[in-house]
Amino acid sequence: MKTTMIEVGYPAARFDARSKVSGEEKFAIDYSREAILWAGARRAAMAHAMVRGIDTSRARALPGVHAVLTREDVPGTNRQGIIHKDQPVLAGSRVRHCGEPLALVLAEDRDVLEKALGMIEVDLEPLEAVFDAAEALGADAVRVHESGNLLHKAVIKVGDAGGAFDRCDVVIEDSFEVPGQDHAFLEPQNGLAWQREDGRISMIVSTQAPFRDRFEIAHALGLDPGAIHIVSPCLGGGFGGKDGATVQCLLALGAMRAGGRPVKMVWGREESFNAGYKRHPVRMWYRVGAMRDGTLQCIHCKLIYDTGPYAHLGVEVMALGMEHACGPYRVPNTLVEGWCVHTNNPVSGAMRGFGVCQATFGIESMMDLLASKLGMSRLDIRLKNALRRGDKNGAGITLVNSTGILPCLETLGGHRLFQESEQWKKLAGPYKKRGVGIAATWNAIGYGRGLPDSAIARVELTREGKIRIYSSVSDMGQGNSSAFVQMAGQILTQDASHLEIIQPDTDLAHPSGSSSAGRTTYTFGNALIAACEEMKEKLLHRASLLLMLDEPAGLALLPGIIKHLPSGREIPFDLLGRLFPESDRMAVKQFVMPVARDTLESENEFKLGFPHLLFSYGAHLAYVEVDELTGKTEVKEYLCVTEGGRVINPACFDQQVHGAVVQGLGYGLMEEVLTRQGKILNPNFTNYIIPTSMDVPDITSLCVETEETTGPFGMKGIGEVGMNAPLPAIAGGVEDALGCRINRSPLTAARVLAALDARGVNR
Amino acid sequence: MRDVFLPRSLEKLWTYLDESPGALVFAGGTDLLVKTFNGFPEGEALVCLDRIDELKEICQQGESIWIGACATHSGMVASRLVRNTLPALWKAVGEIGSPPVRNMGTIGGNICTASPAGDTLPPLYAMKAEVEILCREGARRLPIAQFIHGPGATGLQKAEIVSAVRIPKPQGLNLQHFEKVGLRSALACSVASLAALARLSPDRVVEEVSLAWGSVAPTVFTCPQAEETLVGRPLCAASLREAAEIVRHRVRPISDVRADAEYRRTVAGNLLLRLGTLS
Ligand SMILES: Cc1cc2nc3c(=O)[nH]c(=O)nc-3n(C[C@H](O)[C@H](O)[C@H](O)COP(=O)(O)OP(=O)(O)OC[C@H]3O[C@@H](n4cnc5c(N)ncnc54)[C@H](O)[C@@H]3O)c2cc1C
Repeated sequence: MKTTMIEVGYPAARFDARSKVSGEEKFAIDYSREAILWAGARRAAMAHAMVRGIDTSRARALPGVHAVLTREDVPGTNRQGIIHKDQPVLAGSRVRHCGEPLALVLAEDRDVLEKALGMIEVDLEPLEAVFDAAEALGADAVRVHESGNLLHKAVIKVGDAGGAFDRCDVVIEDSFEVPGQDHAFLEPQNGLAWQREDGRISMIVSTQAPFRDRFEIAHALGLDPGAIHIVSPCLGGGFGGKDGATVQCLLALGAMRAGGRPVKMVWGREESFNAGYKRHPVRMWYRVGAMRDGTLQCIHCKLIYDTGPYAHLGVEVMALGMEHACGPYRVPNTLVEGWCVHTNNPVSGAMRGFGVCQATFGIESMMDLLASKLGMSRLDIRLKNALRRGDKNGAGITLVNSTGILPCLETLGGHRLFQESEQWKKLAGPYKKRGVGIAATWNAIGYGRGLPDSAIARVELTREGKIRIYSSVSDMGQGNSSAFVQMAGQILTQDASHLEIIQPDTDLAHPSGSSSAGRTTYTFGNALIAACEEMKEKLLHRASLLLMLDEPAGLALLPGIIKHLPSGREIPFDLLGRLFPESDRMAVKQFVMPVARDTLESENEFKLGFPHLLFSYGAHLAYVEVDELTGKTEVKEYLCVTEGGRVINPACFDQQVHGAVVQGLGYGLMEEVLTRQGKILNPNFTNYIIPTSMDVPDITSLCVETEETTGPFGMKGIGEVGMNAPLPAIAGGVEDALGCRINRSPLTAARVLAALDARGVNR
Repeated sequence: MRDVFLPRSLEKLWTYLDESPGALVFAGGTDLLVKTFNGFPEGEALVCLDRIDELKEICQQGESIWIGACATHSGMVASRLVRNTLPALWKAVGEIGSPPVRNMGTIGGNICTASPAGDTLPPLYAMKAEVEILCREGARRLPIAQFIHGPGATGLQKAEIVSAVRIPKPQGLNLQHFEKVGLRSALACSVASLAALARLSPDRVVEEVSLAWGSVAPTVFTCPQAEETLVGRPLCAASLREAAEIVRHRVRPISDVRADAEYRRTVAGNLLLRLGTLS
């Protein structure tokens, strides 16, 4: 392998590119062990029911079946959940969604497993169910839980929205609706677990939160969190869909009953759809008031999040959506009301854009409407209201850190694609209509107040003389481990051949938060910088001892050696590695993300996850062409300008943005979890449509750099922000093309054609 | 366990079919694969046709183009003969699935699957293609519209295979068109499609026209009434609108998870309007 210097700011290929491309890198699904048992869950396939009985005798009698476990076999609380512990590991008395697991089978091979699952006789008594979140709020609605269907109601209030509307020159109102979205990762939820002789359970699992998994499993199964050991290899995609237990509790339960044999569970694609959680479907109502010159005065909105029967991170998702509901704008009076509601639909949970991409559709559509109403350009109205550093945002937080939405919008406005919009639109062919849409967006990073966003980094000089980083935040493909290597290489002046990184292992690394919330590189990176700096000091000091120098002056770190520059004398790393004990050869440092300091009227509305201090920003533009005969909408060109502080690796930065835009295009144009009676109608890639390379236009990604003074090398996370803008940009483009706005996403050909027909365009 | 036979000649094929009368033949296996997901008769032998070279040929035979049943979609895309003489079919096969599906999938498989969404079918219907059927005893031929009975149902008898499709070489046509509407730009099942062939006079009067739609009825939909409306008149938005109205009344689309019937009905008509924009 070519040895390259590893430095921050350079668009180096990812550190792990070679192992990924060659297939060397092992994902959780690639792991196996001797004598494994296959685990599988029998699921309810009914949205709401009482469990009258589960007869497992036939399945148990099948040769090759090792065990069939039901609710009675689950020790502990039988409740999993990240914050709200409400989801049964195995349901015993009541079924609340189609994917609910009722029994766990351990079998010698997958064929026997399939057969046994089919032989379990489940006797369910159907109950009336509720599938509409607004309906679920009604007084006489079917109750998903005894406590009712309202998981959480919250209000974010700044100024006096009620009174301010009267003083506005214009007030507009509209409603919007977005459906569920699947994460559609390549590697489905899966893992391998075994109970060791000392009783501890080891698990290699596709997870975004290895350290937290221990607590979730322990709580559900009545175990000591210290008795659980999680290994988190690189993920074949996560996007939030592996932030919280998927296979974990079932696997641990299986391992406890497998007599020491390893248990492997891999959800098939349909199971991944049916049992995995989804992005929240949301209904929104907005009312926006402004002055004649476009200055925003007040926003009142109501957001209803359908979280399905269990909370997962529903309240936190809603909190973040509400915090962003007024957009990256200066709005002195806001009233944001949110309801997080239980239904018998599939469980909703974390997904890239975490509540924000739904609300962005609402607010950005309103900004377009306001621009039309006032006869202003869509860009001007956004520029006019864009947040600047020092402003208060719509949730009442004073923005004291990097705030780059204005330069994003300005860069967009100066770009060729924006400047040439009008000419491009005129060149539409017969039965084609062209439009251009823009959207501004932002996305908080970190957990927010009430839940310390922390990471602990450990670096080590190995006996062999390499610098080893113990990552404690999973790499789900976003490239954080590569960024860590770049940071360490930068501080310690090392090349690739002297650096290595160990993916999270709870027995080796130190506890850190999850790989999520745009926090992964930011928080762990900050801890890592401190650890590398300590390591640097240590290495220089130890070398000075060996060189019999009074002080480390004149010593420099170079790849694999420490050199005394005045004399040219060198100490190789491996000599240090052999001379000093392990406990001396390491540095461990922690970092906790700073939080917003404002005292807010609404600060007690959420126990945790609100509000935030740091945000990344983006401005997007979409060239959209609609076919009037079929309604098919194509995005022909796409521009996104992103601000995330400084850039550690420009290539990885663009990849994150491209990936987010593609996922956002899918969300905007085609992706939709279709359900009937709570059952997913398209639980596979035949009918759950995601974009192919043929559906993705050229994406121009530009970066506006600011300096985030609290960030590692000045950076902020940008993994999510790009997800939020494509839907509103496309919807704006379609409106520009057709003169009608579509308020229900995705903008499928059928919806667009229906809108065209309603306006009598075709006949 | 099941036997899989890979005959390299027709002679061998007949032997295998004699030995395993319940055997299922297949070519690229791209449709067969999907069937296996929903349970697949256990134990039955499989006979693969795709190594029999004589079933892969594409050639001109007199006034017909002869395409062997095992010609792959990629093979047709690469064929100059198909490209130059059968542009509607060429367009259709170029949009099937994705490169790997086109490399494996065959025209014979597409015909025998007899899906209303089979993309080779509208061009084949519009061109009045004939299906060649072979068994040990000999060959017979059926017009494609008679060969296909309904979704998944064909006139194929036991121990018969489709050996080829024979397409009368289009004469004097100056409009040969295919358009597919799917839920995305690749790897998409048609929710409506149209193949259109026409002979236009120099002043664009329709002298002859043949139209066939996919995915808007249980089998490929043809509409002589719409064709009649167009013949003798210039191909223009007004006449096409009239024909489109007739089509919308006559199609029998279904609603499924991909699209509802109303959408398919509207688009079936609308696709005709595109013809007015083709030069
Ligand atoms: C991901 C994917 C995408 C697809 N996209 C499209 C698409 O866009 N458009 C489209 O039209 N189709 C599509 N298909 C369906 C399929 O690829 C085509 O229908 C293809 O042409 C089938 O050919 P095959 O040789 O693979 O058929 P096989 O799977 O080999 O056979 C299909 C059926 O026909 C029978 N059969 C095959 N050949 C013969 C023969 N010569 N004589 C008698 N019986 C025979 C078999 O017994 C079987 O029942 C797609 C399939 C997949 C998996």
